[in-house]
Amino acid sequence: MREMITTNLPVFIIIAPLFVSFILPTLSKRIKLVENLVISVEILGIALAVYLVSIILAQRGMPLIYQMGGWSAPWGIELKAGSLGAFFALAIAIVGLPVALFSKGNLSVEVGAEGRTARYYTLYLLLIGALTGMALTNDLFNVYVLVEVATLSCVGLVSSQKRPQAAKAAFRYLILATIGSAFVLGGIGFIYIITGHLNMGFASQKLSDIWQNNPRVVWTAFSFMLVGFGVKSAVFPLHIWLPDAHSVAPAPASAVLSGLAVKGYLFCLLKVLYFVFGPSLMQVYSVHRILVLAGMIAIVAGSILALAQSELKRRLAFSTVAQVGYIILGFGLVNTKGLAGSLFYLLSHAVIKSALFLSAGAIVNVTGKKHIKDLAGIGKKMPVTMAAFTISSLGLVGIPLLSGFIGKWNLLLGSLETENLLPVIVIIAGSVFCAAYLFPVIRIAYFEPAPDNDLKDPGLPQKIALILLSIMIIVLGTVPGSVLELANRAAAELLAVL
Amino acid sequence: MFNLILALFSGAAGSLTVGLIPESKNRLRKLTVLIFAVSSALFSWMLAIDVFAGENIRIACELGRLTFSLEPDPMGAVFGLIASSLWVFAAVYSFGYMEKKKNKRTYFAFLLLSLTMTLGVAFSGNLVVLYLFYELLTFSTYPLVIHERSSEAVKAGRKYILYSLIGAGAILFATVITYSWSGNLEFVGEPVFKGLLRPGLNGLLLLFIAGFGVKAAVIPLHRWLPAAMVAPTPVSALLHAVAVVYSGVFGILRVVYSVFGHEIVGQLSISNILPWIAAFTILAGIIIATRQDVLKRRLAYQTISHLSYILLGAFTLKSWGLAGAVFHMISYSTLKVALFFCAGIISEKTGETNISRMQGVGRSLPKTMFAFSAAIMGMIGMLPLNTFWGKYYLMKGSVEAGKWPLALVLIGSGIINAICFIPVIVNAFRGEREKVSVERGESSLLMLAPTLVLIIISLIIGLVPGLIWPGVEAVVKGFY
Amino acid sequence: MRELIDKLIVNYPYVAALIIFVIGAMTVLTRSNVFKKLLGINIMESAIFIMFVASGNIRGGSAPILNGNNSEALFINPLPSALMLTGIVVSVSVSAFALALILRLYRSYGTTDLRRIALMGNEVADK
Repeated sequence: MREMITTNLPVFIIIAPLFVSFILPTLSKRIKLVENLVISVEILGIALAVYLVSIILAQRGMPLIYQMGGWSAPWGIELKAGSLGAFFALAIAIVGLPVALFSKGNLSVEVGAEGRTARYYTLYLLLIGALTGMALTNDLFNVYVLVEVATLSCVGLVSSQKRPQAAKAAFRYLILATIGSAFVLGGIGFIYIITGHLNMGFASQKLSDIWQNNPRVVWTAFSFMLVGFGVKSAVFPLHIWLPDAHSVAPAPASAVLSGLAVKGYLFCLLKVLYFVFGPSLMQVYSVHRILVLAGMIAIVAGSILALAQSELKRRLAFSTVAQVGYIILGFGLVNTKGLAGSLFYLLSHAVIKSALFLSAGAIVNVTGKKHIKDLAGIGKKMPVTMAAFTISSLGLVGIPLLSGFIGKWNLLLGSLETENLLPVIVIIAGSVFCAAYLFPVIRIAYFEPAPDNDLKDPGLPQKIALILLSIMIIVLGTVPGSVLELANRAAAELLAVL
Repeated sequence: MFNLILALFSGAAGSLTVGLIPESKNRLRKLTVLIFAVSSALFSWMLAIDVFAGENIRIACELGRLTFSLEPDPMGAVFGLIASSLWVFAAVYSFGYMEKKKNKRTYFAFLLLSLTMTLGVAFSGNLVVLYLFYELLTFSTYPLVIHERSSEAVKAGRKYILYSLIGAGAILFATVITYSWSGNLEFVGEPVFKGLLRPGLNGLLLLFIAGFGVKAAVIPLHRWLPAAMVAPTPVSALLHAVAVVYSGVFGILRVVYSVFGHEIVGQLSISNILPWIAAFTILAGIIIATRQDVLKRRLAYQTISHLSYILLGAFTLKSWGLAGAVFHMISYSTLKVALFFCAGIISEKTGETNISRMQGVGRSLPKTMFAFSAAIMGMIGMLPLNTFWGKYYLMKGSVEAGKWPLALVLIGSGIINAICFIPVIVNAFRGEREKVSVERGESSLLMLAPTLVLIIISLIIGLVPGLIWPGVEAVVKGFY
Repeated sequence: MRELIDKLIVNYPYVAALIIFVIGAMTVLTRSNVFKKLLGINIMESAIFIMFVASGNIRGGSAPILNGNNSEALFINPLPSALMLTGIVVSVSVSAFALALILRLYRSYGTTDLRRIALMGNEVADK
């Protein structure tokens, strides 16, 4: 029994949410059941992810390989759950549960009718399934399909509110994301044309042998991939769809979009860059420099744009643009510390940004006010929500003992290893900017006189979700032990120095 | 070990307790604040006695490949003593000062919280913990700065937090570089860079000094300090004359003596410039002070000047210089707090904040003005007060380092101090005040008593400097 | 130069794919009508499909149907065509989704021109 679970684990962890998601539309009248089902799938997801991580750690990073339909590698589709995949699967699971919990009993207010709620959950689980698939798949075309599934569910989530702006933002998002997909597919096409493989391992081997015959095609493939995933993961200046999309979505949707979906595409980019092209080819084509540069520009530009926003959710959305910069910057460092830092930052930002968007969403739902200046005194009326907001803000700024610091610290050490001080300065300046755009919110919420109306914290599941995320921020910051260990192994796996 | 934990977290625990007490229960809140402030001071004393006796107290845990350690050495213990003892005085003074003010709960909660953060800076055992508490100190004192909630206060608060965050960023930058060059961040034992002389250390030291220099208000990084004077007077007294600014000074002392070590710094070319930076701040600060009309702002610029006395002593890299620095740290703090207390009493009782309109204040508030005059004598460096000794050792250190012009700077600064403040006193006793409207009562006693006690303590130390000499000696012996 | 032209002629499907891709991209980026944007997307995707399918083609090859008589026959690679079937399915679903969104946009704003929708901004939302 145990062995059966272990061998089928990689596929099971993907199938579980997908399977449930297809059942949900049939249950649209019984909304309580739908909610409980989603939450139990998420709990199962956490259990499976933790189990997967424990296996991978016990095997010292030896990956679990699952061959779909029993066809072996170059012909069949392969799932490969190594340290990297397990790390991202864990990230998805631990963010997925609180977000699902937050949606409980609250969602029909945001998306309208109850029938829409069931459809919303379908899309949500599809997204979770697709992201988990991205984490584990080892096949390029599979990456494309999953990216498309994720994109369509994201667009669906963005459009799930009945407001006209939702449709507008969703349409813009759909168009840009599809352009991104076209570029990704093109990139995959170029890789396939010169290597004849879609399996990442085989393609990578072939590529390292023959890239000199077709240097320009490899270069084109690189650029297609960078642009394609760059659009989808909102790397500045390809971020233009993000602020609208993330600010009109319902609170839990914007949390998962900003926290996980963007990370999924970044993660695919990481896999393609390191597992298909490989670090040495990246250095040949100076792709790592492009990544570091793009990251630095994104940090500075995203932060400045965030400062200029007066709406809370838009400010958080632009903050995501800046934080994506950190992760991209880490991808370009090509050393263990930098990559581990970048991965840890990815996880930490997923948790923190979800907490931020959830608490911002709760505030907007309760008060109906979008602008930061209207939030005077919210801290006293909604103590749990603002406490979560404050803890996650501090985490995002990078105060020691909170999760953001560990990621930033490793990123800083990684940047120093490249003997280049500019990224170090930009990373630290980014923290200062981050404080500059988040602390005014906290100041207004706590230190300005409260209005006399009767506002309250959201319901119990919402509070639990916020508390859960805050605890995670603190736990990841104080005892990162095995998670950081996993990130280090994943970085070693990426650099093939196992 | 327990002393350390209790001393450190009394403030935070008190802050939580105060946060739970409803706004209306004044007496209960006062009692709680007093209990926790006194307990923190008490345990700091017990801790300091152990530390001076040579005991090694260390709490450390390994988190994500970084060690977080608390390990007070004599220098940390001295800073902890200064902060926690003065906190008690400031708390009592605040009871009187805040009597008729709003938002007492927030005020006292954050006042106690910043005590923990200050002690955290003092007791930190490595750079990461120092950075952590330094950063948290900014956040926990920010609500005190904007306590008035006026637009001016918010503006000052923004300035304060921006300066501090950029400084903290520089410190983080420098910390990371230190870690990647040496792989070690611990303070206790040999200095981190001992025997690791390498190019780039000049820049690194400058980066550290720039980072901590923000809170130490080294000119030109000082601008937040005068602005932050919009805070209630006890906050200006305690935080912006002692605790917060000392955390910056303390950080620089740490970097020079525990991270680099005075031997390494002595070999860096920058070590010839550093005392002059301090000397410049000493003179420029006090000269700017003479042009200020608002009493608190004049005192703020005087603070800027006097903080650099300590830095000057540290930068001489000689044992007498360090002794002078530590001595001045202790003695200056008692007098400066008393000065601010006086300014607060004057503004509360007569409503005057500008020096030009304080004619005759001395007649209506004789005890306050007496304390004020005594403290000013100390600031100038006259004998029966404790600051004389600090200044004397500082001069000795400067001469020992072969930089006798620094001693002249110190004497010159004393003279300008006199030019700056003697007229204030004369003015206060000379002119006629038409209407003397001074209310008396419990609150004025609560404000006056701590002020006078501080002056008496300063006098006693001034007459018997041997009282605090063992502490100073322990600090110096730790590094030489 | 001659070589380059020869190369281009030999690889005409790729050249065609490139031209179609650029046409599609230009349409998406420059037109403000939502339908034209959608068409542009479809054109772009077709270009990629052509590229993929062309990569599997072998001149003179036959369909990969197993035939006992002629085991030496040159087969074309069926995999890219099969993959593009998936790609087409994805593209169709994107189009369907986009059309549904266009319908919603038209109902709330009364126009299909994105520029005018952007100008209308939030007034519609506040209704």
